Amino acid sequence: MSEESKRITQRPVPLSRIMVNEQTAKVYEDALETKKRGERIAWSTAIYVQEICETLGVPVLYPENHSAALAAKHYGEDLIQYAEGNMRYPMNICSYARINFAFADKLKDPNYEWPSPAMPLPDLLLLANNSCVQLTKWYQNLSDTLGVPAFFIDMLYNFTEEKASAYKVKYIRTQIEEAITALEAFIGRKFDWDKFSEIQKRSALNNKLFKEIIALNVHKPAPLNGFDLFNYMAPMVICRGKESTTDILLQLKKEVEENIKNNTSTYPVDQEHRVFWEGIACWPCMRHNLKTLRNLGINAVTNGYVTAWDINYEPTNLDGMAAAYNFASTNSKSTPTVARLRSDLIKKFGCKGMICHVNKSCKVMDFHVFGGRDLIQKYTGVPIVNFDGDQGDSRSYSEAQFETRIQGLAEIMKQNKEGNHA
Amino acid sequence: MRSVNAIIQELDRIVSHPRVMLEKYLGKGKKVVGCFPIYIPEELVHAGGMIPMGIWGGQVSPAIAGKYSPTFTCSIMRSCMEFGLTGKYQGLSCVLLSVLCDTFRGTSQSWRIGVKDIPIIPFIQPQNRESKAAKEYLIAEYRSVRNRLEEITGCKITDHALSKSIEVYNRHNQTMREFAEVANEHLDVVSAKNRHAVMKSSHFMEKAEHTGIVQELIAGLKALPVCEWKGKKVILTGITAEPNELLDIFTANKIAVVGDDLAQESRQFRTDIPDGDNPMERLTDQWFLRKGCSLVFESHRCRGDMLINQLKENNADGIVVCLMKFCDIEEYEYPIIAQQIEDAGYPTLCIEIDQSTQDNEQSRTKIQSFTEMINDRRP
Ligand code: SF4
Ligand code: SF4
Repeated sequence: MSEESKRITQRPVPLSRIMVNEQTAKVYEDALETKKRGERIAWSTAIYVQEICETLGVPVLYPENHSAALAAKHYGEDLIQYAEGNMRYPMNICSYARINFAFADKLKDPNYEWPSPAMPLPDLLLLANNSCVQLTKWYQNLSDTLGVPAFFIDMLYNFTEEKASAYKVKYIRTQIEEAITALEAFIGRKFDWDKFSEIQKRSALNNKLFKEIIALNVHKPAPLNGFDLFNYMAPMVICRGKESTTDILLQLKKEVEENIKNNTSTYPVDQEHRVFWEGIACWPCMRHNLKTLRNLGINAVTNGYVTAWDINYEPTNLDGMAAAYNFASTNSKSTPTVARLRSDLIKKFGCKGMICHVNKSCKVMDFHVFGGRDLIQKYTGVPIVNFDGDQGDSRSYSEAQFETRIQGLAEIMKQNKEGNHA
Repeated sequence: MRSVNAIIQELDRIVSHPRVMLEKYLGKGKKVVGCFPIYIPEELVHAGGMIPMGIWGGQVSPAIAGKYSPTFTCSIMRSCMEFGLTGKYQGLSCVLLSVLCDTFRGTSQSWRIGVKDIPIIPFIQPQNRESKAAKEYLIAEYRSVRNRLEEITGCKITDHALSKSIEVYNRHNQTMREFAEVANEHLDVVSAKNRHAVMKSSHFMEKAEHTGIVQELIAGLKALPVCEWKGKKVILTGITAEPNELLDIFTANKIAVVGDDLAQESRQFRTDIPDGDNPMERLTDQWFLRKGCSLVFESHRCRGDMLINQLKENNADGIVVCLMKFCDIEEYEYPIIAQQIEDAGYPTLCIEIDQSTQDNEQSRTKIQSFTEMINDRRP
């Protein structure tokens, strides 16, 4: 038995994780069943106003989440190759989009053997471009090639730190109202405003619970391996307005509190260093990320990505909802805003370093990493390392580079620690 | 009257040395406002008695822009950052940037953080033009741009002046469209490079002044005998088609450019500002008339059809997609429009536009084989 494996405490898969997997499987199954019945299903961008279709009872699937799942299972490589080779998409566009374009094209072939999770073709598209403008182009292409309508809510990038002016909020709010009316007509179901407000409340509750769970990782030692949070994001992305998400989050919270009480953690070895992780996970390379961090006792206790779904508004207040969605994603905020938020988290979670994923797919995020670096360093004084990667395309990731950069960071953090004790 | 060649040479000089124009206007006591690609309501700047000047980067291998702009973001914004950081744009009172893509989101921030001495006014046109709230939003957005411009430059922008500037811009658009038509009768004189010089120079001159020169050029061209072009003809599409060395490869292969759908060129001139009583509303309405552009969302994309029409109208042999390196906006469109054009029976060629290199060898090879291919198709 090696030294390393001796130190790792193997644990059974927690119930909350099993619940997440079951929930995800059910979402895809429901969509398939609905489709088989000849009813309509939607594909949606990750931060669309999900409350609308939840109210209308239309099953919604999320290509970004689906592409991430395929990438994590290493189905991405073939699909990416197909998108670039057969479909002529340049490798520079978001890998989630490349995976999805290939998948959608292959789905047209009735003999295609679907990789799991099986995602049937949509009858409608839900497009909000708060996360990025690439989504607008991605969904425009889907709409063209699949011949299905896109229900578009155009969001406005917040280029300063000021709150969005009333005229901006009005534009977004009107679009939400228009989307409701248009979807009502397209689906042929009456929009139930009472149910809508219930779902708004449920979403707010889930949001609050998720935030509370993330905040529990401020404890030392952190009760969660920070990377676990990536796995618990699925319910927040694909089922934010559902009761099943509340159940999962309550269970997870219980498990985390249990860990705190027992001074245990899902992080398998001693936590030498606490760091902040910026950016999406490298899904196809996550195992290597984790192993490298674990070998050095680094726990990325929190990350910026999981806060992207922090959508706070007063239920029933449509203006508030519009403003909240417009400010939801990291990519919709100004760099000084992001730098300030990250710095606050770094301090709150007691992080001694920051690891930034320079994600080839996600340009806005990278601009924040580059432009915000000096600001974060000024506010926090922690060492920051960048590494090259991609959330869905393993070709942009180099194991050797990742290891070297992380070792360098660990070295500095160690010196800083010793210096502080001296 | 100056010769056609003399006029073209002058415009080419301006394109090669925009700084000279900036100095000239500053020397005359004018304020100059930088306008990022691609849709800036320049009329507001013009109405304030200032000079709107295009910011389109240039051939440069960035040395310091990398601090803010990742290497895999479009080369044009990287060179704009490089020039901004190295003082090449000094003298501009401020810059205007419309946040129509992710790289613009990022650049709006990099500029604020890195180029402290030139204030930036970012704004966004609405992409959901079908929403009934879009127009009211854009009027308010343009109004806020107008206020910021007045604040920063101290120049007053009146409705009356704005109406006059709108006429100047519409006249300029019409002149540029006329030039594009007349140029096609004189493809021996108006080579790809020359056509580009006429188009691009508009970004560095006060528009009425540019209109005057282009009208002089049109008159000169009309006085020449019509040329029966024996070579092949193409339409260019993309963000930009540069540098001159690249355009010369077309000429060397006896290929003429008979039309374009470039953001830097015809997309600037093809949509007039409609009539109306209120100049702010008129300026806004123009946004809702724009068609066939990768940066403007359409639920029924018409760029492919527009290009096919252009091919037919100009009896052209194919489309050259000038794909700006790392421009995701155009990269999403490329497979869709290329397929549509090919399905209509026309060939397409895709070349890469990269401001960070002087090396055009790859494009040379591609253009050569494309030429052979189209020569074989239709003798
Ligand atoms: S990963 Fe980035 S670029 Fe891709 S869809 Fe998400 S926000 Fe957009
Ligand atoms: S539209 Fe393309 S070329 Fe223009 S800034 Fe955006 S990415 Fe760059």
